[in-house]
Amino acid sequence: MSLPGIAAKAAFAGSTMLALAGANGANEIKGKVSVQGIKSAENIAVYVDVIADKKFDPPKEHIVVDQRKMAFIPHVVAVQQGTTVDFLNSDPVGHNVYWPSISGNKKLSHNLGTWPKGEKKPFQFNDLGTASLLCNVHPEMSGYVVVVPTPYFAVADKDGNFEIKNIPAGKYTLKTWGEDGKPTTQAVDASAATATVELTVKK
Amino acid sequence: MKGRLRNTSLMASLAAVVVVMCGMLSSVPKTAAIPAFSRKYQTSCTTCHSNYPELNDFGEAFKKNGFKFPKDDASFIKEAVVMLGAKAQKEAFPEAVYPGEIPGSVPIAFRYSGNFNYNSKQPIAAGFLPRTDLFVPNTFTIIGAGSFGPTLSFWVDNDISAGGADAAASLGDGYLKFNDLGHALGLPKDTLNLRMGQFELDLPITQARTINLTPYDVYSQASIAPVGNAACTTIGSPAATPCTTNNPLQFGIPQRGIEIGGYPNDGNFTWSLAVVDGSNNTAALRNSKDVYVRVSQRFNLERDPESRNAIQAAGPTGPRDHTSIRFGAFYYYGRNALNMDGSLFPGFGTVHEPFYRAGGDFRFKYRHLEFYGVGMYGHDQNLLPDTMTGTGFVRTSPVTFTGGFAQAQYWIYPWAMALMRYDFVDSPTDFFKGVSRYNTRNRFSPGVQFLVRANIKVAFEYQHRWERPVTLSNGTTIFFHPNGIVSGIDYVF
Repeated sequence: MSLPGIAAKAAFAGSTMLALAGANGANEIKGKVSVQGIKSAENIAVYVDVIADKKFDPPKEHIVVDQRKMAFIPHVVAVQQGTTVDFLNSDPVGHNVYWPSISGNKKLSHNLGTWPKGEKKPFQFNDLGTASLLCNVHPEMSGYVVVVPTPYFAVADKDGNFEIKNIPAGKYTLKTWGEDGKPTTQAVDASAATATVELTVKK
Repeated sequence: MKGRLRNTSLMASLAAVVVVMCGMLSSVPKTAAIPAFSRKYQTSCTTCHSNYPELNDFGEAFKKNGFKFPKDDASFIKEAVVMLGAKAQKEAFPEAVYPGEIPGSVPIAFRYSGNFNYNSKQPIAAGFLPRTDLFVPNTFTIIGAGSFGPTLSFWVDNDISAGGADAAASLGDGYLKFNDLGHALGLPKDTLNLRMGQFELDLPITQARTINLTPYDVYSQASIAPVGNAACTTIGSPAATPCTTNNPLQFGIPQRGIEIGGYPNDGNFTWSLAVVDGSNNTAALRNSKDVYVRVSQRFNLERDPESRNAIQAAGPTGPRDHTSIRFGAFYYYGRNALNMDGSLFPGFGTVHEPFYRAGGDFRFKYRHLEFYGVGMYGHDQNLLPDTMTGTGFVRTSPVTFTGGFAQAQYWIYPWAMALMRYDFVDSPTDFFKGVSRYNTRNRFSPGVQFLVRANIKVAFEYQHRWERPVTLSNGTTIFFHPNGIVSGIDYVF
């Protein structure tokens, strides 16, 4: 899988599953994230929150987060709860991946150790929240895994645009997570083929 | 003993103490972390320094590779270099200037360091020393370093201000280095390099990159024989003749010269051979040059072969320095010269006094613990004017010293380190000059250091020093420990 497309791939992974499950509809939510007091809306994760009485099997497909030129690529990846993320090292220098907490819960901290160039290390994210990916020798390296409860999610592009496809008709709660912004919650009605939403994320 | 000291003039004692104090408090040649590299590669100081300015394994590899990443350097550079001629100019050489490059922006960094000193109370007869002194020495350093292409690197650091406003400052290192010259000869990588300019010798444990607030005592030790017949007689010279040894060489001071050396086998083996002036004064003090040789071998104790061969070891919680032990040996030889103009001993020729420094060292690294040490022996020939013939010189007891240090340091957290250091110098000469109560001067220096940020450090060091004699006005000699606490702030940008 080409790495620049990983975020988009992750975003659509859940949608595919839903289609296979034969849900009653294949609508989409299109929207734009605006920001106040934040440099950019890029990399803000948008996802459908928990749907009552609805459970989703974890996807079998792995998501790849690369360490290349001393950066986590992609910088932000949203995954459905239970997804396995493969952490790849493409650099000739040693890295490690650890997260000191998941959404502040330090009991969920984890350190994957060190592995050489070209190898991957998998980790299944079963806890909801955001893991801040760090490298203990290159503290400038930063990445995020946003673990969300449903397969309906996306990561905003540099203009703040996002698209959640293959979502069954219904009313949902959209939430956002951003590196610098406060979480935003907004109701959305996806009864029509395409629902359009405007979200504002404040610092 | 006391009777002999009573005969020593008060002024002589004071002068000796002042000389030692000046040596200890003098501005330590400081090399620093290079924020210019942080900017160039958009990476933190901790990539190369676990506790700056000391280098970790990656930093060592970076430095040895001519200030470039050991592998795929170009892919990590976030700031384009300026090409001084197209690469294809190589094909036109020698009809064209060989192509090179310079950093995209001026690779300049700055460092400030200042110490807060607390001095224990000392007898007034030993001279006035304030109990506290804020931010001394107050040193501001400018540093420039980088590479001029694949095989050339450079370094310049200069203390713009040391010890206060407009105080004397000095060049630390300033050199040009030709990296991996052996490649053209088919030698293994990094077997042969050439460095020229002013630089710190390939010391067993670097002084320029030390994390300590004060220099290693043995690196500051000079061989200066006592002036005065009584002392010379005591150390074996004929009565009523002056001592001549007056060798200002201090091991830790940068020198001007040329050095060849290498570090093949991933730096496990190192060697260097330098020809130097013998001092870093504005002009050479004598015609002869000194020679310095050092070899060392590191034994990499990592069990996993892949980790052992990597730049840094793969630890369970991230990359770290290899578990290893290094042993080294060094030898410095020179011929000090006195009376070149005949003013010291009219009617006599130049006094040539061969001298050498020899020693060994080790460094052990294990996870968060480091332990290292150096032992050194110094020997200076001591020639005296032959008053019987009135022309030549005769040998007498040499001026010698033994010294060294051992240091242990432990990372409590990645940002907090505890350390313990022991310095000793056994110098009968200094003893007779009234520097210490006994031949051996011991110093224990426990300390802690905190990285407030990757480029900001706060350090504390307690110094328990040897006893010094001081003669009171009534002729009584008393002894005191000039202990103290040094706390420093240090930042680079």
